[in-house]
Amino acid sequence: MAAEFNQSAASTAKVLEFAEPATAPDPHQHLAALVDCSDEPIISKRLDGTIISWNAAATRVFGYQPSEIIGKSILTLIPPELQHEETEILRKLRGGERIEHFETTRMRKNGERFPISVTISPIRDASGRIVAASKIAHDISEGRRNQESLSRLAAIVDSADDAIIGKTLNGIVTSWNRSAERIFGYTADEMIGQSILRLIPEGLQYEEDEILRKLRAGERIDHYETTRKKKSGELFQVSVTISPIVDHSGRVIGASKIARDISDKKRVEQLLIQSEKLAATGRMAAAIAHEINNPLESLINVIFLARQHSAPESRVNQLLLTAEQELERVSHIARQTLGYYKDTGAPSNVHVHDLIQNVLTVYNSKMMSSDIAVDSCFNDLQKISVSKGEMLQVFSNVIANAIDSMKQGGVLTISARNVLSTPQDGIEIVIRDTGCGIEQENLSRVFEPFFTTKGILGTGIGLWVAKQLVSRRGGQISIASSTTPKSSGTTVTIFIPFAQPPASPEGELS
Amino acid sequence: MSDFAQPFFTGSRFYAADEPTKIPPEAGHEAADPHRKVENSAKVLVVDDQRLIADTLAEILNNTGFDAVAAYDGFDALDKASRFHPHWIVTDVLMPRMNGVELAIALRKNYPSSSILLFSGQAGISDILNDGYRQGYQFELLAKPIHPMRLIERLKQN
Repeated sequence: MAAEFNQSAASTAKVLEFAEPATAPDPHQHLAALVDCSDEPIISKRLDGTIISWNAAATRVFGYQPSEIIGKSILTLIPPELQHEETEILRKLRGGERIEHFETTRMRKNGERFPISVTISPIRDASGRIVAASKIAHDISEGRRNQESLSRLAAIVDSADDAIIGKTLNGIVTSWNRSAERIFGYTADEMIGQSILRLIPEGLQYEEDEILRKLRAGERIDHYETTRKKKSGELFQVSVTISPIVDHSGRVIGASKIARDISDKKRVEQLLIQSEKLAATGRMAAAIAHEINNPLESLINVIFLARQHSAPESRVNQLLLTAEQELERVSHIARQTLGYYKDTGAPSNVHVHDLIQNVLTVYNSKMMSSDIAVDSCFNDLQKISVSKGEMLQVFSNVIANAIDSMKQGGVLTISARNVLSTPQDGIEIVIRDTGCGIEQENLSRVFEPFFTTKGILGTGIGLWVAKQLVSRRGGQISIASSTTPKSSGTTVTIFIPFAQPPASPEGELS
Repeated sequence: MSDFAQPFFTGSRFYAADEPTKIPPEAGHEAADPHRKVENSAKVLVVDDQRLIADTLAEILNNTGFDAVAAYDGFDALDKASRFHPHWIVTDVLMPRMNGVELAIALRKNYPSSSILLFSGQAGISDILNDGYRQGYQFELLAKPIHPMRLIERLKQN
């Protein structure tokens, strides 16, 4: 024990100074008491490994009573596979070295292994010869468990797909996981210490006040769907769940925020809503088509007959003719809106330019009266297998749009040529007008059903139908447009491969 | 162009881009003149369960130089066709008991030289048309409402 006095003399000197004036106890007993009341196991051993002292904490941690262990080898405490460590420890001790905070595993009396941090110092006799070693052990199982669970949590947070952000109750970011970097575009360095308002679009910053108010009241915010801003400035849809973080006394000290990018989900929802709308409209159209079209047919026939029976050039004849013309307008609209279902005509081999010529013939008088010149260039030498009705519909819709866009006259340029060597061989048709053009923000929507730039005169299904028909034939249709004065106009490019697409299940346009 | 001598809109049920027919004031009166009958007048059987349509159309065709008869359902039509031997059969599609495609198939089998035109105001008849198509039959289809002058143009083509 004298050796331990030497060892601890420096650190215990003060205590002794305090204690001395009162009762001046035997320094050996005093030290023994200090060692015994230490929370950490303190063990001493000879250089051959024989245990020579064992404090109360050692009994508590290792489970051996002093009587059981003193005189036994220190190897009793070391798992068999780690016993080589002892040789190394003893070697260092003999060399006068101290071993500090060596983390290893030791064994309790019941065989349980546990992590431990040991500090081992040589003990010298009066002549300075090393005769033994003191070993202070620190059971780190608890600390390691905490450490482990913390790193496990950190790993989970970091590998989560959702952005997980910690913030103070003032809205200052305190943690920022990897998905937050990916989703928002800011690195942790850029965000930690910054205000969360950086992520909130200007118009929505009031949301944060409300969020913070709820958090302070200890409330949680679940799956709140809103819009946030990326570093690039891009806005996107998120679903956020924000929970207060409380300390052990229950006080709210911050918030954790889990944000999920739901732009894709929103897009799908949007599409779903649109296709639902379409299906509903289609059902309604089909349901009323029969009820409208048949009476219209009768009415047209009856008025036509009435006119045949009226005196030519009479007032009645004139009125009936007007009625017929008005009815024809109604019929036109009914056919347009209630009749957009597919042509079941089987494909046949045709020259595309014949189909285009056919459409041009139909629109000839209209183009003449609108002062539109046609410039066509057909180099499609090969016939192609298409449904005539469907392709006439496609060209007719596109050309009708071109004509509508050139109210003040212009030039309609149409070309058709064989295109070889692209992924597929086929025919490319380019229809270009010098009309008013389509605004950029509308351009991406022109193929959407019921989207029109013609106000009440448009049905918004022409290009949509064209796209459906071209796609079903395995082709592509694209549009480019400019509204720049003097060079405005729209170009529609249609590609139809020679190869037929694989047969698809029967069905209406979808 | 020979394939496309007919106006492009016949046979297609897509009318999204067509124009309302311009009706010339003299249309309908040319045939009121008994001396302007169509030469060797074509026989047309008009079938529609809506009697008003069948009757008015037959009357218009008769006034325009055709020889037209109306029938009000498929069985009636088969019966009249056996005696009348029409060049043209113009039939509605959605009819009770026997639909227009069933009628057309029966007529095509019995009278292969007759030409058949379907006309319908109903979307959602593609199942019926596909039934025929699967059996190897395909028919030209016109959309109702169709102005009588257009139908007459079509009938004059062949």
